[in-house]
Amino acid sequence: MAFNPLTERGIPIDKQLRNWSQLNVTPYDPETVDPYTRCRIITMNGIEVQSILNSHQFARNTDNPEVKAKLAFTRRVEQQQQKAVNWLLSGKESTIELTLAYEQVAIDLTAFLARNEPDPYIKQTLDFGLLEDFDHLYRYANLADLIEGKKADKITRNYTEIMPGRPTIVEHRHPFDDIRCHYDCHTADPLTKLHALIITAAEQQTMNFYMNVGPQYQEPIARALYQEIAMIEEQHVTQYESLLDPMESWFQREVFHHYMECYLYYSFMQTEVDRRIKDLWELHLNQEIEHLRIAGELMKKYTGMDPEEILPKSLPEPTRFEQNKDYVREILATQLDLRTMGPTFVMLDQLPEDALYWQYQEAVNSGGFVPSEQVVKDLQEKSGYRIAFMTEGPHPVESMREK
Amino acid sequence: MPTLFPTKEMGAKTLPTLMTIAAPEQQMSLDALKSLGAEGKLNGLLLGNLLSAFTQLERDAVHLYRVVASRTQYDDWRARYEEFGKESETHVRIYEELITRLGGDPNFVSPMARMCEHKSNKLLDTLLLSGSVDELTLEMTGLEAVIAAEHQCHSNWELLSALAETVADTTIKGALQDAVNQVMPQEDEHLTWAKTTWQKTLLGLLATPA
Repeated sequence: MAFNPLTERGIPIDKQLRNWSQLNVTPYDPETVDPYTRCRIITMNGIEVQSILNSHQFARNTDNPEVKAKLAFTRRVEQQQQKAVNWLLSGKESTIELTLAYEQVAIDLTAFLARNEPDPYIKQTLDFGLLEDFDHLYRYANLADLIEGKKADKITRNYTEIMPGRPTIVEHRHPFDDIRCHYDCHTADPLTKLHALIITAAEQQTMNFYMNVGPQYQEPIARALYQEIAMIEEQHVTQYESLLDPMESWFQREVFHHYMECYLYYSFMQTEVDRRIKDLWELHLNQEIEHLRIAGELMKKYTGMDPEEILPKSLPEPTRFEQNKDYVREILATQLDLRTMGPTFVMLDQLPEDALYWQYQEAVNSGGFVPSEQVVKDLQEKSGYRIAFMTEGPHPVESMREK
Repeated sequence: MPTLFPTKEMGAKTLPTLMTIAAPEQQMSLDALKSLGAEGKLNGLLLGNLLSAFTQLERDAVHLYRVVASRTQYDDWRARYEEFGKESETHVRIYEELITRLGGDPNFVSPMARMCEHKSNKLLDTLLLSGSVDELTLEMTGLEAVIAAEHQCHSNWELLSALAETVADTTIKGALQDAVNQVMPQEDEHLTWAKTTWQKTLLGLLATPA
């Protein structure tokens, strides 16, 4: 049934604050948690963080007391939402285990969005990022075995395959080559706008996570690998934020962030298998409906624009965490050698010799030590194997199969 | 009810440029644009671009009038803002009809229209600094935004009026003249009222010792 958050009644904002006991939620049990429940938690944490940071940026661009006050109140509740969501994670899981889960999010979220993206260029951009995150899972899986003796599929189970993607070593691009074209706010499908904002938020949270946890390791290879992959996440944030139309006003963006939150909480309610967590998604949806109303009122008052003018009459089809193995294999088989020149996608054999790509590759990969390659070699030397978890047959690209 | 924010659902179209993309079905065909006003030997590409921008400015004016009407402390100003806002809605409809009559697509949001919308957004952004100014400054800023918008609206209609005089094709001439005749008296009134009110208000205050 169609769901329109603009016509629903949420929880009044002054009834939304929770006390410390309510916020300090009991974490999930890592032994029994469904991997996609963990993925939904990681995603919603990133979404809340993005919404909070957007609100802070907005607040720094106005001294209108009403706007600042309403942003501050909503933002405080968003901070509580972020705490309630992120504190579901279990301290029994190590940082590398959580990292594997972050990459599972990056793969199965990006793949789902790409499969459902109506705009061909945006879909191509998502596919491009997908193969890179897919490779990160492989590199981190090798690191998990190397430093903690842990098997990655304990986290990802059989939902997501683990094998090389577009090798991380070739993902390092000149900054100019990570800029993408953007959608037009008038002609873009509402789903396209949601996808662009969702993936930007997810990648930004991943970037922030790696930036912060990387140096907490003692093992040199772990520190180095987090550093290298954190730089790719910076590239991904640059790529995905480029997709947003810069013409959208602060007020429109604020409305759209809450609309996105409504959309995802609503989406995840449909498929959540943990009753307690499903209830949390429902609570947050009811809070977000009110946040959307408040943001819409501000937009109306200060831009003269009704939220109904820019939002669809009902939420698009829900986003789901589900297996994307066939899709990922198809993209691997056809796009492994894809590169970029500015906002244009080109195959490797069409990349000119003087392309900026080569200059940047030389700058960062020279010196002989590339952590994402080294981690696989180290595990091979130490244990005599590399980590891979393939349930659907050999690698779809013949040249990447183990000899 | 005229369209105030064209969307994909309404059939909005764009012309992808250096940094914008659109799905193929959302892209305006260059050939279709070039054929606009072809009977009058006009530059259809520019005409389509301009008419889209002119429509956009009237859409922006509707939004602007809603904002200033809700914010003003003066009842007589509010009444004028509300009246002019309704008339601007009519102007949007007249532009949409004119574009259709000329063989164009009123849901085309051209690059010029994008820039127009961006400028209008920046005019409204002035209200984000309302915490560091007094009420008079806010009132006058709202009125100055109206003057800026109406000045451009007026210039747009003047251009179309001049075009109607020079174009040979009688169909295009007639369509332009019909639109101009319907709108120009109201545009005159909007701009004159805004400029006169601005001047009278400030002169009155200047003559009142603090």
